[in-house]
Amino acid sequence: MRITTHNAYQNVIFNLQQRQQGLQTAQEQLTTGKRVAKPSDDPVAAARAERALAAMTRADAHQRALEASRTATQLTETALGDAGELIQQAREALMAAGNPSYSDGERQMLVQSLEGLRKQLLAVANRGDGTGNYLFGGQGTSSPPFVEAPGGVAYQGSAGDTLVASNESLSTSLDGELTWLQAPTSAPGVTISIFDVLDTAITSLSTLNVTDPQVAAAVKTGVADLDTFHAHLLSTRARTGEALNRMDQVELRIADGKLAAQNERSSAEDLDMVQAISDFQNRQTGYDAALRAYSMVQKLSLFNYIG
Amino acid sequence: MGTALLSIGVRAMAASYASMQTTSHNIANANVEGYSRQTTLLATSQGQFTGVGFFGRGVDVAGVTRTQDAFLAREAATAKALSAMDQVRATYLDQLQSVFRTGEQGIGHAVTQFFSAMSDLASRPADSASRQVVLARAQDLTLRFRDAGNQLSQLQTTVTQELNASVTAVNGLAASIAKVNNDIAAARGLGQQPNDLMDQRDRLVSQLSEHVQVTTIPAEDGSVGVFMGGGQRLVLGTVAEQLQRIPDLFDASRSAVAISEGASLRPLSAEVLGGGRIAGLLKFQDQDIVSGQVMLGQLARALTDAVNEQQQLGLNLQPPAGTVPSRPLFGLEDSTREKVYPANTNLRTPSGQFVNTVTITVRDASQLKATEYELRADPDNPASWQLLHVPDDGTAPQTVLPGDVVDGIEINFNPAMGVGERFRLSPVTRAASGLQRLLTDPLDLAAASPFVASTPGTNSGTAAVDALRMVSTPADPTGTVTITFTGPDPGDPSKMLYDWQLFDSLGNLVNGAIGSTWTPGKPIPSEPDPDLNGFELEISGVPAAGDTIELVPTPFPANNNGNALSLNRLGTLDLVGLTELSSGELSGGLSFNESFVAALADVGVRAQGAEAASAISSARAAQAEQARSDKAGVNLDEEAARLIQFQQSYQAAAKVLQIAQSVFAELLKISGG
Repeated sequence: MRITTHNAYQNVIFNLQQRQQGLQTAQEQLTTGKRVAKPSDDPVAAARAERALAAMTRADAHQRALEASRTATQLTETALGDAGELIQQAREALMAAGNPSYSDGERQMLVQSLEGLRKQLLAVANRGDGTGNYLFGGQGTSSPPFVEAPGGVAYQGSAGDTLVASNESLSTSLDGELTWLQAPTSAPGVTISIFDVLDTAITSLSTLNVTDPQVAAAVKTGVADLDTFHAHLLSTRARTGEALNRMDQVELRIADGKLAAQNERSSAEDLDMVQAISDFQNRQTGYDAALRAYSMVQKLSLFNYIG
Repeated sequence: MGTALLSIGVRAMAASYASMQTTSHNIANANVEGYSRQTTLLATSQGQFTGVGFFGRGVDVAGVTRTQDAFLAREAATAKALSAMDQVRATYLDQLQSVFRTGEQGIGHAVTQFFSAMSDLASRPADSASRQVVLARAQDLTLRFRDAGNQLSQLQTTVTQELNASVTAVNGLAASIAKVNNDIAAARGLGQQPNDLMDQRDRLVSQLSEHVQVTTIPAEDGSVGVFMGGGQRLVLGTVAEQLQRIPDLFDASRSAVAISEGASLRPLSAEVLGGGRIAGLLKFQDQDIVSGQVMLGQLARALTDAVNEQQQLGLNLQPPAGTVPSRPLFGLEDSTREKVYPANTNLRTPSGQFVNTVTITVRDASQLKATEYELRADPDNPASWQLLHVPDDGTAPQTVLPGDVVDGIEINFNPAMGVGERFRLSPVTRAASGLQRLLTDPLDLAAASPFVASTPGTNSGTAAVDALRMVSTPADPTGTVTITFTGPDPGDPSKMLYDWQLFDSLGNLVNGAIGSTWTPGKPIPSEPDPDLNGFELEISGVPAAGDTIELVPTPFPANNNGNALSLNRLGTLDLVGLTELSSGELSGGLSFNESFVAALADVGVRAQGAEAASAISSARAAQAEQARSDKAGVNLDEEAARLIQFQQSYQAAAKVLQIAQSVFAELLKISGG
């Protein structure tokens, strides 16, 4: 085969450039740590990495929603605990008021203590979460959800729970009406309100010249209703406790999901460093050899020998 | 006797000198691209007859030829044209894929972040900071779409400029070939081959192949005819035709290339051209830029329409809260909405207006496809009109009637218009570059749902409200709906029956039904039940007979997050490129994220394929060029050897002269003695 001098040099230059380009690419990958810098480097891996990034971002959003729900639920749990204690105190006061040896005046002191407890309970029911929302505001309220009205305490929030954006049914506020005003009783379809229970007891006990049987009856009904409500409160509190436990599980799942997505993204587009370094050295050696070969071959010419 | 010797010597010296001159010419041109090695042809002079036989009279220089293989030269030119086409497309696709950036800087991430901001808004609907973040993410989203759309327009501009440059180059080269043809024909009249002129012409043809694939056919007078794909004449003898860049038949912002044929222009498609930069640029423009535009546009339209629709179903906080109609979050500049381009050959009025117009309207953005269409009369049945996908993706032509809704677009036209009329329909092509965020006040975000659903404490079953979503405009925005479960469906005990009633704000019963069916796991109302009041209710748990769910107008929109939840959920739904099945059901769509991933992969595969094609064809072109020039080019070692060879011949011939002189001197000495 004939070889053209000009071509021979052109080929050498072309090959040197190719090797230089390869070296440059390897160096670029080493410095960025990425195997896939643009979709055409590996379209399938680029798509995988993109999906994984979306999953990571969504996991972050889920985590933030969970945090919002957890903060509110923890506060709710505390509020329900406080309410439980207040109800226990009310029960004790009511029991004490049932003592037949008490005079009206002595009973009146206990009535006052009951009224104080009722006020505290109302404050608990109207507790906020620190960001302008109410723990028992249901699906939104602009002012404290429970107000004193002529017929007793009325609920002005919306019904239902406020849920956050999650597939796990996490809430930031509870339906206050269901929690405080509609505790189920053993009779189907009949519910009681804690405030009504206290109001009824307070009214009966503060009536002047009330007879012992009347007192006993009022105390009996009151204590029974308080117990019914307390059971309801405990079950609500158990639900929030369960929700908090569930959140821990959900958080683990979110973290696992995010980690998996991170690994997926990394395995799709990141460089295998060990292989990349060996690859780089390989290319370096190749380039070096090509340069040496060129410098040796270019010395060969017949003109060197014509003198 | 002595004169014969002298003359042989002189001619031998001349021949050797000529050979050395050619060799030196070769050495001098060793590095000239496209130079063909030349050889001095020597011929033995006819002998002189004498009585004792023929005496040789030495050597003659017969001519100078160049070493060129016409077949290899043609191969090299064709391979170069194909390589130039692949290379220009690969280069531009590499730029195109930067529009579909991956990772945190990409559109896909902006989409995810937008919906994540909706999730945060749902957690804190009353917090103005979370509302601001939604607005900022929406702005970021529109900017990224616009930026991508503008980059695509910029690529189109660059393609047009490159086409202009290529067309100018082709015209210049064609004119030069015609002129060299003329010079060669004139030189051939002198009886010898003008080697260097012929090299120059070959070089011009090779340069021409960079821009457009050509074939050459030699003529008897030494000129060559240059023809493009489809046998289109570019140069014949001393006459060159002119290429021209013209506006696309439909859309003047795109380009086409045509050749002048007398007074008329004949358009040349990329397929006809076959190779060269011009074909590569046209392919890139007609297939790749358009695909990029329609994929982005489809996503932009589907996303913004879905978000706008949901936003407008919710309640915003402009005072008095919950009473001001919610405005769309996103907008589209008018020039970038769905558009119809009539062919510039369509009928016009004397004043230049088009006689016939076609209009399209997007009816359901979730059904839009990533394509453009051509509306034209069915060639087999000119009375009916059909739609074709552009660029052709293998979809069969679809017959349409005025008012038909195809792929979410309603098409209106006059079916009686002439059969020669053609229209290009672009529902989404420019949408990305015209995207805008319309809302600037955080209060305008409709995070609240118009209704809240709740279960009273008196319910004995475990049913709870999981989600309440607005899916259409409610019949009565201030109405109350009561749903009462009545027990298992006797026909299918796994389902439950319910009654519902819609009361207006005054408590009057305005609508209702008894005996509707609820399938657990499905929302209320389930298909095909009628709409209750524009909502879709998802419940978990199992209701007992007699249990009720009540939906009342949201009393405090400021703290309600119902619609923010619905907006957030859009990000997980398949709302791009849905197809309507014959049952009326929509299926086959992708989520917003997935749609972007698909577009990115599509462009990545294109760029990867073009890179590979370019690598292969440039290697082939280099090989073909090497084969050509290995045959025709100069090898300096060879020339050095020849130089020595001819130098020795020259020295030998000089020796002959010397001897002839001494013979002659001897003769003189004898005679003059």
